[in-house]
Amino acid sequence: MRKVKGFLLIGIIILILFSSLMVIAAAEMTAEEIINKRDSNEYFDSVRIEAEMIIVSGGRKITKTMIALSDKKNSLVEFTNPQDRDTKFLKREDDLWMFFPDAEEIIKISGHMLNQGMMGSDFSYQDIMESDKLTDLYDFKIIGEEEIDGRPCYVLEGVAREGVKVSYYRRVSWVDKERFIGLKEELYTQSGRLLKETKVNEVQEIEGRWIPIDSVMENKLRKDTYTGFKIVQIDFNPEIPEGTFSLQNLR
Amino acid sequence: MKKYFSITILFLILFLLGSISISAKVDIGGELAASLISIIDNEGSISAFLQESLDLELFLPAFNNTQAKFEIYLFNNPMSGGFDYLIKKLYLKHEFDKLYLTLGRQPISWSFGSMLDPVDFTLGAMVMDEETGGKYQDAIEAYVPLNWNSSVSLVAAFPEASQDIKWGLRGRTMIGGYDLTLNYVREPEIDFMGTIIPVNQRIGFTAKGDLGPLGVYGALGYYFKDNDNGNLAYLIGGDYSYFFEAGNKIYFQLEYLSIKKNNLSSILGSFFTGNVINNLNENIGLILGMANYEIDEFSQISLMVISSLNDGSIIVMPGYSSQLNNNLSFNLSTAIYFGKEDTIFGPNVSEGVQQRPKGIISIGFTYSF
Repeated sequence: MRKVKGFLLIGIIILILFSSLMVIAAAEMTAEEIINKRDSNEYFDSVRIEAEMIIVSGGRKITKTMIALSDKKNSLVEFTNPQDRDTKFLKREDDLWMFFPDAEEIIKISGHMLNQGMMGSDFSYQDIMESDKLTDLYDFKIIGEEEIDGRPCYVLEGVAREGVKVSYYRRVSWVDKERFIGLKEELYTQSGRLLKETKVNEVQEIEGRWIPIDSVMENKLRKDTYTGFKIVQIDFNPEIPEGTFSLQNLR
Repeated sequence: MKKYFSITILFLILFLLGSISISAKVDIGGELAASLISIIDNEGSISAFLQESLDLELFLPAFNNTQAKFEIYLFNNPMSGGFDYLIKKLYLKHEFDKLYLTLGRQPISWSFGSMLDPVDFTLGAMVMDEETGGKYQDAIEAYVPLNWNSSVSLVAAFPEASQDIKWGLRGRTMIGGYDLTLNYVREPEIDFMGTIIPVNQRIGFTAKGDLGPLGVYGALGYYFKDNDNGNLAYLIGGDYSYFFEAGNKIYFQLEYLSIKKNNLSSILGSFFTGNVINNLNENIGLILGMANYEIDEFSQISLMVISSLNDGSIIVMPGYSSQLNNNLSFNLSTAIYFGKEDTIFGPNVSEGVQQRPKGIISIGFTYSF
């Protein structure tokens, strides 16, 4: 019995030592490591998402539903709510194409539209359809630590890498210290103006990854308006048939 | 032949529907619209009528690489006083190994993002001619994708006004970020109310891309007939978005079209060109401008202007639209014509031509389901 107690004591001591080492290791994480860990949660080689976009402005609320399919570089979004049913967008790198279901025509959308609200929402086409890793677009540094809804977070500042095209020149991210998921983000212009703010309302662990399944994007330039984004169904690494991200598949 | 063509397609779709298991999901959707349309004539008197329409579409599941579509547009016809219909889509599309074949009533649109398109498969089938059905054709289309952004399509259509086939060939690709198309159309000889319109053909080229913060586009068309000199038409345009401090956005689109007067009625549709009967060899320059301002996420105001640079006549089309909830939207659109008699957009003076009003105001609701 005494022997068992001795093993238990040694076990507890090892566990405490190990936990302390982990805490020290976490505290010493670099900004790049934190963002890489966040990317490994939120970045996918390929993904299929069924989602709802809830646009709220003043007293009005409109819900749009969609199915999005993305790989490392490309994205395809199809709207399924009655008003926009069969409207599709294809993004390949910096080119955006739209399928108009009535005339069944495919039009290349001008580049300046990429930063505009998608279907009247506060999310831009780029926000929804961007599939690049954050570490490929921004240089990050840690600027502090704060709590968001009782969860300790790293506060990181990302500034766009030189020569890289991004929608927001600077972003400040609150990354959950334990789950490595962005809980809040502020998006700024180059002149330092706050454009948008996103907050995560609900996260879920799916297949070992923490995923923001309910988030809100607020356009800080406008009053009384925000857009909610709820993931209804998510499948990681689905089989994407050849030719999915093509103009013929928009038809 | 054309009648049999549609009946065949209808039977094929009924056969398909019967083949699909009961558990398969067949959905119905569409739009119900009601508008009050007021017409102001050149004497200033106003007449108004109600316009109701129902656009109904069947969403059928794909079946062995085959997709069936059916969409019908029902509307009350103010001319006849009764209800009328237009079948927009009644087709089967089958995906072969390297070819997509579409057979039946289908929209054939070669739009590339301009407001007017002098080289579309059906001229005048866009912008101001949304519901006249010009782009819906009984046709067979063979579409061959070459890579993700390049394709060749061949269209054989059966126009109502002719016994012959209308042919179209279109190639599309992307070079240096520009969407490029090259197309050819051969219109058959048409008997239009006793007047024979001879075979005419056109070759068109379009390009659309970005020049810095501007979206830019253009089209070049060459029209030719047997025993007639050919003539050119071209269009250049651009679009731009500007954001205000408060986050609201205004979108601009501006384009210029140069075309022989003889071809103008095809581009604008007969309603707008009752005065295009003289000096048909004259070249016309049209300038189109559009501004769209987003008041908030759900509401926007727009202003579209079309003017003939030759005679200064002009159409001004202000509009307002607002999405009231998930399914219901409100629309207000107007068109006011300015110009001297016998100008392109001025009052009609020619006999036998449908008199153009001074203005039109349409106010209505649309319910999507």
